[in-house]
Amino acid sequence: MKKILVVLITLLLAAASVTAEGKSDAKGSESRSGVTTLKFMGWEASPLETESVKNGLAVFEQQNPGIKVEYTPVAGDYVAKLLTMMAGDSAPDVFFIAADQYRAFQKRNVLLDITDHMNQELNIDEFIPLVQEKMLIGDRVYGISSCNVSPVMFYNKDLFDAAGLSYPPSDPDKAWTWDEFVDVAKKLTITDGNRTTQFGATGFEVAWGWVFPPMVMSNGGSVLSDDYSKVTLNSSQSKEVFNAIRDLRFKHHVAPDVAFVEQSGMSAAQMLQTGRVAMMVDGSWALQQLATMDFPIGIGVLPIFDKPATVGQAHLHAAWAKTKHPEEAWKLIKFLSSEDYQLSNIRAGLWLPNRKELYKEENLSKWINPDVYPEDFGNIVKYFTSYGKLWPGVVANREAYDIINEEKDRFYAGDTSVDEMMANIDKRTANL
Amino acid sequence: MSMKKLAQSNNFWAFIFLAPNLLGFLAFLLIPVVASFGLSFVEWDLLSPMKWVGFKNYIGLFHDQVFLRVLWNTVYYTLGTVPVGIALSLLLAIALNKKLRGMKIYRALYFLPVISSYVAVAVVWQWLYNAEFGLLNYLLSLIGIRGPSWLSSTKWAMPAVMVTSIWKQLGFNMLLFLAGLQGIPSTYYEAAEIDGAGKWTQFSRITVPLLSSTTFFVVVMSIINSFQVFDQVFIMTEGGPARSTSVLVHYLYQNAFEYFKMGNASAIAYILFFLVFLITMLQMKFSDNWVIY
Repeated sequence: MKKILVVLITLLLAAASVTAEGKSDAKGSESRSGVTTLKFMGWEASPLETESVKNGLAVFEQQNPGIKVEYTPVAGDYVAKLLTMMAGDSAPDVFFIAADQYRAFQKRNVLLDITDHMNQELNIDEFIPLVQEKMLIGDRVYGISSCNVSPVMFYNKDLFDAAGLSYPPSDPDKAWTWDEFVDVAKKLTITDGNRTTQFGATGFEVAWGWVFPPMVMSNGGSVLSDDYSKVTLNSSQSKEVFNAIRDLRFKHHVAPDVAFVEQSGMSAAQMLQTGRVAMMVDGSWALQQLATMDFPIGIGVLPIFDKPATVGQAHLHAAWAKTKHPEEAWKLIKFLSSEDYQLSNIRAGLWLPNRKELYKEENLSKWINPDVYPEDFGNIVKYFTSYGKLWPGVVANREAYDIINEEKDRFYAGDTSVDEMMANIDKRTANL
Repeated sequence: MSMKKLAQSNNFWAFIFLAPNLLGFLAFLLIPVVASFGLSFVEWDLLSPMKWVGFKNYIGLFHDQVFLRVLWNTVYYTLGTVPVGIALSLLLAIALNKKLRGMKIYRALYFLPVISSYVAVAVVWQWLYNAEFGLLNYLLSLIGIRGPSWLSSTKWAMPAVMVTSIWKQLGFNMLLFLAGLQGIPSTYYEAAEIDGAGKWTQFSRITVPLLSSTTFFVVVMSIINSFQVFDQVFIMTEGGPARSTSVLVHYLYQNAFEYFKMGNASAIAYILFFLVFLITMLQMKFSDNWVIY
């Protein structure tokens, strides 16, 4: 009931403000002293991020004495709030926007076009390719990426040592093939009667669907057409991948089901720490928590079918198309993409850099903090710079991607065959 | 009407005093409800101009495989939770209607889930349901059954959510029944006992009929609530796996804030409204047959 009410009220307020549009006065927020106040809105992903936003803004205000930033972190439904504020003509000047919402908002002309600023003061080529692809809509830019995050394979070194196995490679050019990976996973699976006390691997079946795409790409398949308009998952390459992922559970019994991790009350890190799983595919951000725990952690690349592949995404910072202070808004957006702002989160293991500069050999020491990152992390960086692709969920039609996830879950649950899954996806996404 | 007359009119002052509440009701309930009826006939994403589409949203929904799925899921949830939930809470109310030492503590214990946050409840139940380490599957393993992975199975996720919901709401209905039970004069039971009526006869001939107005209220409210289910599925499963626990309000929400389809969302809200309205009307109509006031 509460949800319905929220929706109804949102709609009403929005409807009222649409009719009132144009009547709203052009009162800016310049105060007496010539200080411009920028409204900035974000969400609270973790205490660490909130902290770094606050610290970052303090630095920004110091560098820009003419600008004050009023930051509002939103707990709860961020998109609904932003959408309503825009419809009500009272949106913040600058805001976070999730990568998979960025295009949906831009399509409705509510994001400030910052391409010209971008071309004058920054260079899109500074960013790693997958991040460029994320920001570019056609040849225009409406937001700057905060960072990058990608799925990687975490593992507990103790469990490998105990089994006398060598660690998963961190160099993508030396990645295990899928069969090699399954072999190791089998050796790391320990059973007690008909209960499995230690699983070899997990993390491939994530519900929101960001681990199957790199595997499909690794096998030469694709999720979307080049112009993102069609779902192209139905190929022999993807079928092989989906069968292989499901076989981890059904055939090899080396993986628990997806709810095992998501609904165990344990984080991925705790799963590894307590030895419930030996290898786990998870977002790179998990390193931040892992680094605070007391066990030897390793990071490797995902196994490959044919060639190395991973995906990346992460939220952007954008400005409202109707902001009264486009220049100041740009300054803030630009600051939020700078090392001054990013570096603390990167050094903490929460974010990965999104600029080529930081991935250069000589700059790695700036952020590969030995207290947090495993010692061989330097080997993995080309995984993100050269082998990283944009996560298709960012550019796909949202409904189409939901359908893919729904059909893939049905397949993982064992309710459909891979052919049925692909046929259903084709049929259901055809008219979107 | 002159000012003086107005100032003496009772109605005038009544409305003045009701105004704060009434304005709130108008602004946050009545007007949005009416407006969204209008919105169910347009195509609108909140940011672009509206486009009148007539009944297209409604027709589209009934051709939408996902909508039919979530509609069925909602009905399934209602069928699964309402009868069992009511039967259990009635039994519980009868058990807790005894005069025992510390009875108030038992009642409070059973009421505890009602006032607990759904988030906390959902997390605890997720642990119980965990396939490998959950208590439920551990108990099943003692009698030699290998339990499924409840919340990630397309067959079991919905029943699992239902059980949690029943457990959570048990205390509330129990309380209503308890109030009903205590409203039945004990003289009826004493008279029945003298006439030689057994416990079952007392229950079926005295308790059930005299409790029928409470039962009616509980049935109506339970059905309405279960059609509007959202929190528990959103927290426990987010509608998954494979939409097996996705319900009407969840899809309404997705349409509004994930797909930017406000017209569709409003249409779903109104389909839900008419469904609940129809069911409640039918219940009212047939209540004469079994409800005794």
